[in-house]
Amino acid sequence: MVGTPVLFVAIPLLAAFLIPLFGMIWKESVRVIPGIVLAYLLVLAINLMNYVMVNGPIVEVIAGWAPPLGINLVFSAFSGFLVTLMVFLGLIVWMYSYRFKRNVDFEPAKKYFLLLMMLITGSVGMVLTGDIFNLFVFIEITSISAYALTAFYTGRDSAEASFKYLMLGSLASAFLLIAIMIIYSQLGTLNMADIGSKMHLMKPAYKIMAIIFLFTALGIEAEIFPLNGWAPDAYAEAPGPVGAAFAGIVVKAAIYASIRIIYTLFDLSGAYDLLIVIGMITLIVAETAAIRQEKLKRMLAYSSIGQMGLVMVAFGMGTEEGVFAALFLMFNHAIIKSLLFLSGSYLVYNSKDKLIKEVNGIGKFLPITSFLFVLGSFAIVGLPPFAGFWSKLSVLTAAADSNMLLIIALVLIVSIIEVVYYMRVVNRIYFFKKDESVSTQRPTLNALIAMITLGAIVLIVGFYPDAVTGFLHRASADLMDKAGYINDVLTLN
Amino acid sequence: MKKFVVILLLAVMGYYISITFFDIGFGDSHLVEGVVPVKDAYLNETVNSLNVANTVTSIVVNFRGFDTLGEVTVLFLAVTALGGILYKKRHQAGERSVLFSASKVVTSGSKLLFPAIVLLGAYVFIHGHLSPGGGFQGGVIIATGFLLMLLAYENFTVGHNTLSVIESLAGITFAGVGIWGLIYGGSFLENFLPVGTLNDLFSGGVIPIIYIAVGFKVAAELTGVIYTVLHEKG
Repeated sequence: MVGTPVLFVAIPLLAAFLIPLFGMIWKESVRVIPGIVLAYLLVLAINLMNYVMVNGPIVEVIAGWAPPLGINLVFSAFSGFLVTLMVFLGLIVWMYSYRFKRNVDFEPAKKYFLLLMMLITGSVGMVLTGDIFNLFVFIEITSISAYALTAFYTGRDSAEASFKYLMLGSLASAFLLIAIMIIYSQLGTLNMADIGSKMHLMKPAYKIMAIIFLFTALGIEAEIFPLNGWAPDAYAEAPGPVGAAFAGIVVKAAIYASIRIIYTLFDLSGAYDLLIVIGMITLIVAETAAIRQEKLKRMLAYSSIGQMGLVMVAFGMGTEEGVFAALFLMFNHAIIKSLLFLSGSYLVYNSKDKLIKEVNGIGKFLPITSFLFVLGSFAIVGLPPFAGFWSKLSVLTAAADSNMLLIIALVLIVSIIEVVYYMRVVNRIYFFKKDESVSTQRPTLNALIAMITLGAIVLIVGFYPDAVTGFLHRASADLMDKAGYINDVLTLN
Repeated sequence: MKKFVVILLLAVMGYYISITFFDIGFGDSHLVEGVVPVKDAYLNETVNSLNVANTVTSIVVNFRGFDTLGEVTVLFLAVTALGGILYKKRHQAGERSVLFSASKVVTSGSKLLFPAIVLLGAYVFIHGHLSPGGGFQGGVIIATGFLLMLLAYENFTVGHNTLSVIESLAGITFAGVGIWGLIYGGSFLENFLPVGTLNDLFSGGVIPIIYIAVGFKVAAELTGVIYTVLHEKG
């Protein structure tokens, strides 16, 4: 082992406090340091992942107190896979935004990169932690960075979007605290594994109250209908790379937390049905709303919400195939939606309203960016041979295995809706005449490298899905093994 | 109609929250039977192995120190975000959007009170492991001292860079102590200093060091917030 999981939190925090000091000496360091930190974390994540695949999960204690006294971090196949994905995407987003807007002043640049790094740290912490109050703290870190990044352009609309997000986010924090209070008052512990092992002792009425509050709180962060009022505005008004970070990193962490709570903490069987019902409603509402959007980023945001609904449905099946399909969807969605946000932001770079009709005929002027956007569109609707095809296929087979025919029908219908609204954009990019008034902006070299890397992953996973399915099978087996998780944490001394 | 539905939903939610919390009760023994709560272990370990007089401090800084590091970061991020959002709208040093007409009594009185307030704040966070209070409380007390000075004097300025340096150094101390514990103790934030005797000023290992850092950090950050908001352009 070359490091411990706590470094995923400790190193970025140390760097965050160092950045203002280094910024006084060398101004460029405020952009460079987050990149170095993220690159180091990626190397650490890959190393730990290799270790975990061979030797089983790593459970680390903080301040030398064994659980349930102290806080612990768990780096297992499931959480480790997500952490690696998040840190990788964080590095991509950092590379992309290095010179995204030229002539940004020193002060906003300092704040942007610091907040971006803390956004990623908070999400990684949410995934790693094994303590329910610590989860609350990391959600706070993530959301405060997210509010600030949403309001980064300091316009009227972005302030409104940020305020909306702030209000709903505060509600989420309050609900989370109420749920934690109920659990602590009954079981006298905050450790997730300890709660999981004692949950059968709690009165069912309290259990239901606690799970409703937890699920509502995390549903706000995970964009579950009807709690996602903040999402379209925040995605549309935040800078382009921040939208990619929301879709690829923050939402994934919130989904992880809600799934961990339903699979490991609680033993209510009805919770799985709740996941399916809420997921289906989210899917239908978001995809039908996406068709009617006129702004590119809002369309992508609704599509992102819909995909999260599909992930919820797949988790709700409660079988190992279902979990595998859900994880595959999360992986693909993180890569593809980030690619769409990153390339889409350059398609509407100079436009004020970011309308879909402004991409008319842009394929001739920005060939690579347009190609990557189209690649992402094909992949996300699930056309073979791109990555999205395999995840949709695994959802269908998992549903068929559990005899859930309605889900199969729904997924196929929704795919058609997706084809309609994504092909509309693709059609405009290549087959419409360009509007003279729209000026294009060529992507910088580092942005191009970031986008091409994501595009290459879409193609590699499309042609050779075995590259990730091995990890995903291990991760899904890890999530289903509740007794193993509790045993790993509580036998530590 | 929409309002009616909202009120109905809130009423249902409020009803269920209140019956749950009335049912659980306050102060009674409300735990499920057969459960050993962590609080007993906290009380026991605080006195016996950490030698800290204030249990709240030992929980906040040692047992759950990782949460405190997170909360300190939340405050740091909030201040950073505020500075970023109000960046374009700031007045130059010495100019303000809000001016208070302070009388002679206020100006001379605040000059007299200011050192006393700072001293009290420092006392509260240095003695955080012995008496009630701690880094957060002491920091807030110091920030109120600066608020008093800003209200009394129109041209009272605080160096923006000074605040930033104090903030950063305090944060580095906290995270650095944690990493030092990882290297020399075996786990992050682990105590690597001798714990001393109960009720001594130098006792509790790294707890006073962390709390003093938190005190400086909170004081600098809250002063920064007051200063930024006072210099915001309308």
